[in-house]
Amino acid sequence: MNAAPGLLRGNSPGLTLARRSLALILLCLLLLPFADLRIIAVDPWGELWRMLHGFVWPDFLGLENPLRAIALTISVALWGTFIGAILGFPLALLFHHSRLVRGFCAFVRAIHELFWALLFIQVFGLSAVTALSALAIPYAGIFAKVYAEILELTPRAPTDALPDGVDRLSRFLYAELPQVWERLASYTRYRFECAMRASVLLGFVGLPTLGFYLESAFREGRFGEAGALLWVFYALIATLQWWGHRRLLPILLIGALFWLGPWPEVDGDLLWRFVSQDLWPAPLLHGDLAGMGSWLAGLPDLLPAIGNTLLLALMGTAGSLVLALLLWPLASRHFGRPWQRVGGRLMLVVLRSTPELMLAFIFLLMLGPSMLPAWLALALHNGAVIAFLVARHADGLKTGMTDLPASGRYAYELLPRLYPNLLALICYRAEVIMRETALLGMLGVATLGFYIDSSFQYLMFDQAFFLLLVTAVLNIGIDALSRRFRPREVPLDDPCSR
Amino acid sequence: MALLNFDNVDLGHGTHVVLPGLTLSFQAGERVALLGQSGAGKSTLLAEIRRRLGNTAAWCPQGHGLVPLLSVYHNVYMGQLERHAALVNLFNLARPRREAWQTIETLTQELGLEGLLRRPVEQLSGGQRQRVAIARAFYQQREIFLGDEPLASVDPHQALRLLERIQARHATSIVALHQHRLALSHFDRIIGLRDGRVVLDAPARELTLARLDALYPDAAAMKGETQGEAKDEDRVASAP
Repeated sequence: MNAAPGLLRGNSPGLTLARRSLALILLCLLLLPFADLRIIAVDPWGELWRMLHGFVWPDFLGLENPLRAIALTISVALWGTFIGAILGFPLALLFHHSRLVRGFCAFVRAIHELFWALLFIQVFGLSAVTALSALAIPYAGIFAKVYAEILELTPRAPTDALPDGVDRLSRFLYAELPQVWERLASYTRYRFECAMRASVLLGFVGLPTLGFYLESAFREGRFGEAGALLWVFYALIATLQWWGHRRLLPILLIGALFWLGPWPEVDGDLLWRFVSQDLWPAPLLHGDLAGMGSWLAGLPDLLPAIGNTLLLALMGTAGSLVLALLLWPLASRHFGRPWQRVGGRLMLVVLRSTPELMLAFIFLLMLGPSMLPAWLALALHNGAVIAFLVARHADGLKTGMTDLPASGRYAYELLPRLYPNLLALICYRAEVIMRETALLGMLGVATLGFYIDSSFQYLMFDQAFFLLLVTAVLNIGIDALSRRFRPREVPLDDPCSR
Repeated sequence: MALLNFDNVDLGHGTHVVLPGLTLSFQAGERVALLGQSGAGKSTLLAEIRRRLGNTAAWCPQGHGLVPLLSVYHNVYMGQLERHAALVNLFNLARPRREAWQTIETLTQELGLEGLLRRPVEQLSGGQRQRVAIARAFYQQREIFLGDEPLASVDPHQALRLLERIQARHATSIVALHQHRLALSHFDRIIGLRDGRVVLDAPARELTLARLDALYPDAAAMKGETQGEAKDEDRVASAP
């Protein structure tokens, strides 16, 4: 008779995944002492109470002219996504043929929308051009990649059935595009929802979208107004399927043009100077290699910043994994009573619709500037995003044994089937989390983003640009790493999970 | 008149040979039925015939090869996609060309698809899709018809009617099918394949149903085989 195998022994795919996930969580726990998790605020619960109060009793009348901010938020999101899609589509067609295009796309999407905004503000000021380029440029890279992945999965049968000698364009229009059109459209819609969040965030750098008013209301402790603005934003996201209907899009796009603004006066000389000189270290431009040494020595100490960035990304990823495991049953039809599910689903929708920087900002006001608020925000937002997708996946499954207790259903029936997909989602998300960690630096957490933000503030564009490049390289590295550990056997057929 | 000859050639995909040492010839004006179990090599043979004949033959593929989101009209129109410039095809997506519309309307009426021209193919039943695929082959307007199980998803009565249409429109036809009675009654010549070899090649009038059934392994094995096939189809149907 054989003894039962030891803990996590065996080489089934499930066990491999379990070992991998536990290793991730263990690594996170081991490194946790290095993270700065102090609570600095004097009265966190009192602050939380006042914020909740403002959220429950929102002060809609205190809002000054919210329609303008709403219209601008939507207009920027709409045109940013649209231009991104227009730029991304041709890139998607070249994506698998050209290493150059793939590299370019990886680079532009590795830098967060807000950093692009910081860069463009220097040239175009607080204008529509800044807002639109900040969204359209990284989105072009994202669209190129995801569109290319979708196009690659086009079924071949209709193409094979065509007569000989059909030109490339006709073949594409008749036999390929219509088959993937739905997927392309639904991904674009999902990206538009992301763009809405990003458009709000642009308020944090001074563009007058909803985020601008949100930030100042929070900062000045006018929580009633902040609550009202948050409600407005949730209402916009919740009703997106109606006002953002396919048939209304042309009208919305044209209408949005009237709200976009102001349009900057572009000074060609200034723009050229910025691109050709300001962004590059002066010694490099003069060919003075010795001078480069002292330039590099003048940089802020990068290793702790990189360490913090990576640590926060790891903590965010591990936290999202744990939270997703805990949260998904809340929104699944396999658990709880209907009214409980409505509550659970609502909570997940709120957590996933709130921009993560916004969440971090709220926690920051509560807990003070350490890595804790950033960690909470990353884990909650991304955990909720994944939990939501997993719950939807679970609802499509049928359980074999109906009378199992809830714990048995969770552990034996559902989780084994959902887990590879969940882990794949986490791996996809790791790249997003990485991008967001750098971003949270703007709130004062000492990641790379913190130094990028302050370099821009001190008008040290060469330094800011260099740090942006470092961020991008880190990000591309994380992307490659997570792709390596992603469970391969699950095809993620839903492009909206990226 | 010989349409094409295979003289001791190996056919297959890449390095994988499905039909080794094939020797076979086809005549113009012949109506040929290809019989045999799935995996016997019918599709490989038809694909090679199609490659050699190029655009002189109309082609009706296995599994239809239709585009679900496009309308019946556009799916049929794809049969002549190579005869128009890219721009013409582009405009045709937005606004159907008048003469193409009329031709296709007549064609689809003949095949019992009247009133469905604007309907996306994804909303059609299996039998209707089958007829759209045949309409597309007709629209190619060729002398020769090549079909890989073009009657697979219609009932026996319809199969008979469709086959008569196919043969009325094409002097030559080479068709893979499973309906033995139709093969005997509507074709001049029957070729039977088994495990990549031609095990039967004779005029239809010299053959009987019993001879055709012998193409398939003995009854017990055949039962297992059809079950296996049913499972295969399930898998295809449930794949995303």
